[in-house]
Amino acid sequence: MPPSAAYRNPVLKALSSLWLTLVCMSLLMVLVVACTLLQVPLGTHEAVVRTIHSFIVWWRPEGASFKVPVFPGGALVGLVLLLNLIFAQFLRLELSRRKAGLWIAHLGLALLFVGEFTTGMFQVESQMPIKVGQTSDYSEDYRLMELAVMDRTDPKTDTVTAIPESILRKGGEIKTPSLPFTLRVLHYYPNSVLGMRGAGDPPAEATAGIGPNLSVRPAPRVTQDDEADSAAALVEVDDGGKDLGRYWLSNALGAPQGFTLEGRTWRLALRPRRYYLPYTLTLEQFHHDVYPGTDIPKNFSSLVRLKDPARGEDRDVLIHMNAPLRYAGKTFYQASFGQGDTLSVFQVVQNPGWTIPYISCVLVALGLLLHFWLKLSASFGRSP
Amino acid sequence: MKKKTARKNPRVLFWGIFAAAVLAAAAPLLIPAPKEAFPVAAFGRLPVLEGGRVKPLDTFARNSLLIIRGTQTLPLKGRTVPAVKWLMDAMWRPEAADTQPVFLIDDPDVRGLLGLTDKARRFAYWQIEPKRDEIHTQAQHAAMVKSAERSRFQSAVITLDSRLNLYEQIKNTLMISGDGDPAADMAVFAQVVPAALRVVHGGKATAKDRQAVKVLSQLLERYRFLAQAAAFRPLPPPADRPADAWTSIGEAMLKPSAKDGPHPGLADYALMGRAYRGSDPAAFTEALTRFSQWAEQERPGMMSHARAEVLFNSAQPFVSGMALYVAALLAVFAWWGTRRPEAEAAAKALFGAAVLVHTVGLAARIALQGRPPVTNLYSSAVFVGWVSAALGLVAERAHRKGFAIAGGALLGFCTLVIAQHLSASGDTMEMMRAVLDSNFWLATHVVTVTIGYGSTFLGAALGVAWVGRKHLVKDPDPEMTKALVSLTYGVICFSLLFSFVGTTLGGIWADQSWGRFWGWDPKENGALLIVLWNASILHARWAGYIRERGLMVMAVGGGIVTSLSWFGVNMLGIGLHSYGFMAQAFYWLAAFIFSQLLLIWLGLLPARFWEIEDEEEEA
Repeated sequence: MPPSAAYRNPVLKALSSLWLTLVCMSLLMVLVVACTLLQVPLGTHEAVVRTIHSFIVWWRPEGASFKVPVFPGGALVGLVLLLNLIFAQFLRLELSRRKAGLWIAHLGLALLFVGEFTTGMFQVESQMPIKVGQTSDYSEDYRLMELAVMDRTDPKTDTVTAIPESILRKGGEIKTPSLPFTLRVLHYYPNSVLGMRGAGDPPAEATAGIGPNLSVRPAPRVTQDDEADSAAALVEVDDGGKDLGRYWLSNALGAPQGFTLEGRTWRLALRPRRYYLPYTLTLEQFHHDVYPGTDIPKNFSSLVRLKDPARGEDRDVLIHMNAPLRYAGKTFYQASFGQGDTLSVFQVVQNPGWTIPYISCVLVALGLLLHFWLKLSASFGRSP
Repeated sequence: MKKKTARKNPRVLFWGIFAAAVLAAAAPLLIPAPKEAFPVAAFGRLPVLEGGRVKPLDTFARNSLLIIRGTQTLPLKGRTVPAVKWLMDAMWRPEAADTQPVFLIDDPDVRGLLGLTDKARRFAYWQIEPKRDEIHTQAQHAAMVKSAERSRFQSAVITLDSRLNLYEQIKNTLMISGDGDPAADMAVFAQVVPAALRVVHGGKATAKDRQAVKVLSQLLERYRFLAQAAAFRPLPPPADRPADAWTSIGEAMLKPSAKDGPHPGLADYALMGRAYRGSDPAAFTEALTRFSQWAEQERPGMMSHARAEVLFNSAQPFVSGMALYVAALLAVFAWWGTRRPEAEAAAKALFGAAVLVHTVGLAARIALQGRPPVTNLYSSAVFVGWVSAALGLVAERAHRKGFAIAGGALLGFCTLVIAQHLSASGDTMEMMRAVLDSNFWLATHVVTVTIGYGSTFLGAALGVAWVGRKHLVKDPDPEMTKALVSLTYGVICFSLLFSFVGTTLGGIWADQSWGRFWGWDPKENGALLIVLWNASILHARWAGYIRERGLMVMAVGGGIVTSLSWFGVNMLGIGLHSYGFMAQAFYWLAAFIFSQLLLIWLGLLPARFWEIEDEEEEA
């Protein structure tokens, strides 16, 4: 379409206008400032979800049950800005050598949006704690819970049925072909305060496990990034009318609880959501180096053994600061440590679009350099 | 003929002023230090291990005094006592050091707690000592409160407690708080060990031997205390040991090397202590020389590094740089006021000298630390100023009107003042914590993003110059205005390039170390704001929504955005990048932002408020 035709269509004209660009950039600046300030009371994750990773920013008045839209969210502004960029590029910007820099820079910018979108949609983050000498084949997401129902009859292998948090939140009856009984979620608290039951507490709702001795009260979710929720669920198990007990389950409780049914041993646990890997990592050594005479950390490093029979991999890998292990679409970073330097925690990230920002950064930098260089040389060329 | 000299004169003048300015900056190195009875300067060049790195005692003394007193020297009875001299007193003659007013106490509640009623701001250790335990208890209580929620008293009492701890550690580094004679202790130690060993190994023990065991256990107790209390490790490892195997006096006494016997530095430090306490400069010099020669032979690299750092400490290039920037700024004003070529030459010469001194200081830091220029908030201030000033120097060559000098000099001065204040928290060449320990990323991401800060600030300074000119200059030269505007435009383009590349490189570093390119962390958001702001200015200009005035006023706004992202986010006290809460800096930041908003408002006043008709409105 020649540029003149585009100007006749008011929608296209608006979509490709620099005015829209400026409006979006201003909105984005407001959102970024809001997101930064909200991190103090809400914590990073919640602030980002409310302002940036949403189409509309909602505001709920104190104590009200309704919420009002107050501002366009980051996702909406970003999407409009991307459309605006594409339309402006093709309808307004001439395809010439003079503008080559801008073309490259804007292409890089569009890629950056695509990369951020891909990350938002497909990135899965979890953590993998391993003790020195131990082997693990799964990582955990501490933000999401799951109800694990384990058949422990065979001492060698557990058969696990995991029920995701989204189903627990809905409550009600859970039936699945892999379980010979029915589960009923009576309460689900994303965060709770667990304590021993005192004399003044209301009668216990749980009937089995350690539940009868517990008092469980719902609590607001934690906001600080270094705190963790203690989720709790009251689950009733019944086998076609026969009551097998009501259990209080929580990730804050230690050992799984359970019962025996028709010769099989069943265990129930509420635990962080697990992602199983088709290979294993064994932590051979963990080092926490400090500068001499101080406790300023200099480096954290983990020597792990990667074993993947399917691919014929069996080798040592050193994971340390700024040097992650990238393997089979996942990246393992040295994230944390504990238990007197015998436990190493890896951040496990799966992001199919992780290379996009690298390309985009190079494109924008080259594009801007080219553009400013062309402009500068033109202006110096004109004036003697 | 006359014309020729007029043209030639400023040139001679330029080089004359330039040379004089550089010479003035080098003065601290050229003027000999005042005579002292003891070789204080030579003692200050001895290397020690503290805070994870090898540094000369001079640096440790300056930083300690800076933490405790807020200054690098100690004015006492009309004399200026160098920090090393104060350190020597604290280590060997604490009875004298305890009477020197070094503890800075500003908080009225803490003064009340101590029962101090004098008007002075600084107090001696003996004035605090009676309430020492109380201070410690209060500080422990206050430490339970999260740092952002502490009251002013709680923060102040924690600060005082840590200053007292540092001082007490210093007193117990080379000997136990001036108690006894370390050289005599060592002799006794050497004497009793064989006798005590006889008892331990079940040989025939006499009553004298049993007495020796008693003496030995007392001495061991003392050395154990010294090993644990020491503020630094003074004994370098011999050439055949690992380079970081430094030891303290106590550690070296407790674990003598099986092969070589006691560390040779032990005897020399003990003799230095005895000589200092006994006012015997000759004996002190002898022990110091012997130890220096030994260290020079075993660790020549560490010795020359320590000497270089002492040279840097005494040169104080950033202090002279500050003075030169002010001089350059005044000269620019004189040039604009008088339009005389002499003033122009002076402005250019002074600014050139200031940038040169600033560059030398920066290069010296890079060489001493073996790191890229920006490693912490302090060095970011030094570097932001250098970028602004160096860019100003380049820009001045393109448009020779003095604006770039004025902007660069103003920013160079302000950032060096900020750096001076930030240095009060201790060693400015501190070690890099694990994730930051990467010269590659410090050199790429941190340097580019800081260049972005510096150039955005320069754009803001040019905007301020534009607003000032509009209001103050009666008959502005349109060519000069045009030069100023096109200069600002160029600087904003430069800022966008560097802030964008710096920000995305930061994302890539984050992807390398934490697995996320972008986490909406406050510092990342701050950097993004600078990019968005600069991009908005350029897009608005290209679309024609803003012209000269809009461009210049928005450039002033760039200064606000940058200051918020540089310092404001640290005040949130959250996020991966936060360096700690800076309550005092908060008010300065607020004042800066208010002043810039005022300037923006002045710049936006309608045309009839201008003394001169606005060309833009006429057009």
